[in-house]
Amino acid sequence: MPALLEVRGLSTRFTTRDGIVKAVDGVSFALEPGKTLGVVGESGSGKSVTALSMMRLVAEPQGKIVGGEVLFKGADVLKMSEREVRDMRGNRIAMIFQDPMTSLNPVFRVGRQIGESLILHKGMSRKDAFDRAVQLLDMVGIPNARDRAKDYPHQFSGGMRQRAMIAMALACDPDILIADEPTTALDVTIQAQILELIMEMQERTGTAIIIITHDLGVVADIANDVMVMYAGRQVEYGESRHVFGDSLHPYTWGLLDSLPRHDSDEKGELVPIEGQPPSLINVPYGCAFHPRCPYAEEICRSEVPPLLATDTGHLSACHFSADPAFRRGMDRDQERVALK
Amino acid sequence: MTDHREERPNPRSGVPTDVGGHETRDEATTLPVLPGDLHAVTGLSSRTLWGDAWRRLRRNKLAIIGLIWIVAVVLMTVSADLWVAPLFGDPLTVDTTPGASLQSPSLEHPFGTDKLGRDVFARVVYGARVSLTVGVLAVSISLAIGLMLGALSGYYGRFVDTLVMRSADVFFAFPYILFAIALIAVLGPSYRNVFIAIGILGWPSIARVFRSSILSVKENEYVDAARAMGASDFRIMFRHIMPNAIAPIIVYGTMSIGGAIITEAALSFLGMGVQPPTPSWGLMLSDAKSLMFRAPWLTIWPGFAILTTVLAFVLMGDGLRDALDVKMKE
Repeated sequence: MPALLEVRGLSTRFTTRDGIVKAVDGVSFALEPGKTLGVVGESGSGKSVTALSMMRLVAEPQGKIVGGEVLFKGADVLKMSEREVRDMRGNRIAMIFQDPMTSLNPVFRVGRQIGESLILHKGMSRKDAFDRAVQLLDMVGIPNARDRAKDYPHQFSGGMRQRAMIAMALACDPDILIADEPTTALDVTIQAQILELIMEMQERTGTAIIIITHDLGVVADIANDVMVMYAGRQVEYGESRHVFGDSLHPYTWGLLDSLPRHDSDEKGELVPIEGQPPSLINVPYGCAFHPRCPYAEEICRSEVPPLLATDTGHLSACHFSADPAFRRGMDRDQERVALK
Repeated sequence: MTDHREERPNPRSGVPTDVGGHETRDEATTLPVLPGDLHAVTGLSSRTLWGDAWRRLRRNKLAIIGLIWIVAVVLMTVSADLWVAPLFGDPLTVDTTPGASLQSPSLEHPFGTDKLGRDVFARVVYGARVSLTVGVLAVSISLAIGLMLGALSGYYGRFVDTLVMRSADVFFAFPYILFAIALIAVLGPSYRNVFIAIGILGWPSIARVFRSSILSVKENEYVDAARAMGASDFRIMFRHIMPNAIAPIIVYGTMSIGGAIITEAALSFLGMGVQPPTPSWGLMLSDAKSLMFRAPWLTIWPGFAILTTVLAFVLMGDGLRDALDVKMKE
């Protein structure tokens, strides 16, 4: 199947007073229709900027997409006219933002707001758009949708607002839905419901999803493919089962180890990744992860590791990924303690 | 959020057990899911932001006193032609009969008469016309210029922002009343030129307030969401940013009317504003200053009128500030 979206070597930079921030540095990935891609990484690893760059929403003039291609159905989004991009946004590629408390405009009724993209893109009348908004609200599980559509956002709870945001994003039946940390601002109990809803909507509408999160658990559950980002670069990318079952990159190991485990009885200690993510102005020379990597050697400090593929098409940017002895067969927790 | 709870029936006792029949997802635990009919009863779904603001404003006694005073003054001035002249005499007709001038307050002339024998009450009422018109028109002019420039400045930033804000600084650099006098000296002293001058001088503050308001609204995620939805600059500006940024302007504009009334009075007092014989509060004070001790009512009443009216606008503006602030839900 041809890729619905193909991103090649995307690079975005921000000019700040302190210097140039390489927020996204040569990121490539592909998304097939109806599939789900999870983008994982710490705060400031460039996940959100990657998504914003794809929709050309990076705030200019500070932010600038300096290179790469974003091919949506074969057309390069980065070369489109402002008008074409506007026609695409919300219509073909829609986005859900992190904080549902602030992503709905407080002065518009929820139904109006959901209908707006229909008026904008589908040329519907206000009445038709409102009726459709009611249907959508009903679909995302808001009870009494017709009444609730007349409410203002402040009358909705956080979970309901995120539902409304999802309804809004799905209004035009987009090909791609980008969810930027859709559950981060929600209560834990509601997070699962929202994820379930997103998955359910995907089944119904067949939209492809890019889900951005720092929660590996979220990604493991729902993503077909996973891309792990660090300091604006992708460090590991492949099918979900490979990335989680057979992780190649020490950073991914670190992420996995720092997760609390519920599946075993023993109270294992959480192992945090030592240190802080680097400033994107002064990205460490060589492998960006080397100052925090317990396995770092001379080559890591001097050479940028290439993104190497295994025979399963699983990519990893670590000098040692190709070494089978390095990859598996050791209890990583134990070994890290020994190294300290 | 407490005021919500006052009006909302207790989820445990007020709502019939029907709640359980609805989809009990997260909402059931965080917010009572009201059955449709109850919705209609509480009027919850018909609540608007402006309705909320009005509710909060109504609870503010000072603001309501201000509002009542403004409405009373407006009604009095609008209907003045009907009752003032027959009851108290024409505010412009000079009465030269001996003893007609400088009468102290009496039943016939409740505020007394001035040195030309004109009824002070009639003049104060007609003076309100000048004050209110100048106040409202001046602020309208300031708003027209200030909102446009403030919006451009806040939304587009960069070069436009620098240009507009530095021009505003230039305006701020001049002593306000001197600048007004200079403008009127060029335009010529007249009723119309007073509000034009005050209006022109008022725009920088409005532009600044609106600009900063837009800058803060612009940072909201719903603006990004609107852009991600494919809305154009124009649509984002007018539909998403403006309605959220306008509250401080309503407050500031209301207070500015009071300020404009004071400036008009000051200019008229200095002889650069409304020209005699048109009654204006400032002009009346100016005429009365030499008679301040012989006929104190000549200064007291126009002074009182200025004080109360300006105060009413300021109180009203202050009340609006609290009422329009969504976060101030006690």
